[in-house]
Amino acid sequence: MKAGFRQSMAWLHTWSGLVVGWLLFAIFLTGTVSYFRPEISLWMRPELQQAAPGTRATEVVIAEMQRRAPAAPSWIILMPSERNPVASAFWRDPTATPRGFRQAQLDPRTGGDLAARATAGGDFFYAFHFQLFGLPIPIARWIVSFCAMVMLVSIVSGIVTHRRIFADFFTFRPRKGQRSWLDGHAALATLALPYHLMITYTGLVTLIALTMPWPILTNFEGNRAAYTAAVFGIDEAVPRAGVATPLTPVTPLVAEAKARWHGGEIGRVLVTNPGDSTATITFQQQDSDRVSVSRRTIIFNGTTGAVIATREPDGPADATRGVMYGLHVGRFGGGVMRALFFLSALMGSAMVATGTILWAVKRRQKSGAGAGTRLVEILNVGAIAGLPAAMAIYLLANRLLPVEMAGRITWEVYCFFIAWAVLLLHPLFRSHRRAWQEQLWLGAVLQVAVPVVNVVATPGSALAATLPAWRWDIAGIDLACLAFAVLLGGCACMVGREAAAPRQRRGAVQSAAAE
Amino acid sequence: MTILAIALAYAGFVALCLAMERHHGEVFGTRRIPSRRRVALRLAGWALLAASFPTCIADWGWAFGPIAWCGVLTAAALPIVLLLPYRPRAMAALAPALPILGAIGACL
Repeated sequence: MKAGFRQSMAWLHTWSGLVVGWLLFAIFLTGTVSYFRPEISLWMRPELQQAAPGTRATEVVIAEMQRRAPAAPSWIILMPSERNPVASAFWRDPTATPRGFRQAQLDPRTGGDLAARATAGGDFFYAFHFQLFGLPIPIARWIVSFCAMVMLVSIVSGIVTHRRIFADFFTFRPRKGQRSWLDGHAALATLALPYHLMITYTGLVTLIALTMPWPILTNFEGNRAAYTAAVFGIDEAVPRAGVATPLTPVTPLVAEAKARWHGGEIGRVLVTNPGDSTATITFQQQDSDRVSVSRRTIIFNGTTGAVIATREPDGPADATRGVMYGLHVGRFGGGVMRALFFLSALMGSAMVATGTILWAVKRRQKSGAGAGTRLVEILNVGAIAGLPAAMAIYLLANRLLPVEMAGRITWEVYCFFIAWAVLLLHPLFRSHRRAWQEQLWLGAVLQVAVPVVNVVATPGSALAATLPAWRWDIAGIDLACLAFAVLLGGCACMVGREAAAPRQRRGAVQSAAAE
Repeated sequence: MTILAIALAYAGFVALCLAMERHHGEVFGTRRIPSRRRVALRLAGWALLAASFPTCIADWGWAFGPIAWCGVLTAAALPIVLLLPYRPRAMAALAPALPILGAIGACL
């Protein structure tokens, strides 16, 4: 080996980070906001914001489903929670087009329909985070898994490369060009290192059934359905007996479940063969009660109310998977915990961003403005500054597109991608620094526009209404947009100040050379 | 309580930071730290970081507390790195002030 170990690690770190940097930033940032997926979804459905979970939601919703779909083979009901005041019911109906499924948003107090504007809500960012958009799902997940693997390689090689982790722990030297980018990159990485390692590793684990299927295929002899049944506690459907029998009252079952879970709340209800003698009622515990997402489950006989089976997911493999998955998605522990996760995740996004910027700054200083450097710079602007602007466009489209518009869900998403595509192309036609300044300012303006347009389009969900009512779940989105605006505006000012700095200064030289 | 945990961790990190020559110089204008003071700062730093851990446990319990603590450490260290080059004295002055405010907040 010609080069030393540390040099080869530095090489690996430099190039592995660049290969996936842009996509990784998008994955990181959409994942970061996905900690608040239910809140974003609720913000984007202002019509539902006044709904409340109610105290007898399970009873109300099951009674309503008996009225609506008495002959359906099964109902899946996602129960309301602190974070989502609406019950969502899904059931199979062969007459429904196109997929033979129907769904309804139910008011958990009355069982009535809650009509809201059509939107993908926070689910769009969440899905983009691990399966991107428009690609076949397995391929997209492979790409994301690959990015996560490279990320893990980058983190480990970065730790080896960074010799002065403790000596430089608090070091940040601003206005020194490349030095500052390196300091910033290292500080963002070091200060949240436990988080970065955790989130990357657990991210790989969430997709491990796809990337490493062999243990499952071996242990379940190639039968994935059997694996799903064993892991998720969902058994294969039993055919109806044809003997009409009413469903047992659910109130005692709810009490039984809560007693067994020491007060844990019901997150999901699954009813199979309702109205038949073979009916079963399954309760799964809510995710927010524990770190692990492996759900405690109770299955009742649907006609007698007797407990058929319970599932306490405490086997070592199950608990390991559940806890890793739970750590990744961070649904436990409430708002303050999520805010802490959010901050670390934001630092992760910034770490990826500063890494790709550092690559270009370093490259330009070393070998001048070649075509490769210029390409990286162009992609940096659109991928890093363009994304938050496009995300703001997505929220704005939610308020500005007509509520009755056909294909509304798709158009919100198209608005996001059209905006992002324009911003990816825009740096081609501008000087490097100009492109940064314009896109950062645009992002700041668009982020400010979100709460402003909210006031005009849907006054009921604007800050003036949500703050006095202590609705932090909704006000938080507007406030976060304002905070992002300050952040982006601050970055734009910094780019401007660096341009104005005297050229003799060592750091300013290579960025000024960009012009 | 989370505020208190962050405040304690902040004070701890500041103490450890001031025990380093370069940062001591940035705040107090001299890189020379008397060796007793250095030891005292190091001890205080680690003790304060340690103290933020039971605060998290008290707030979150044993299942969530250790996870929250990692986030608390990150949230406490970030403002130090951002303040140090611009407002070094304010950064140091906040170290005793924040835990007191945090404790008052936790009592209310």
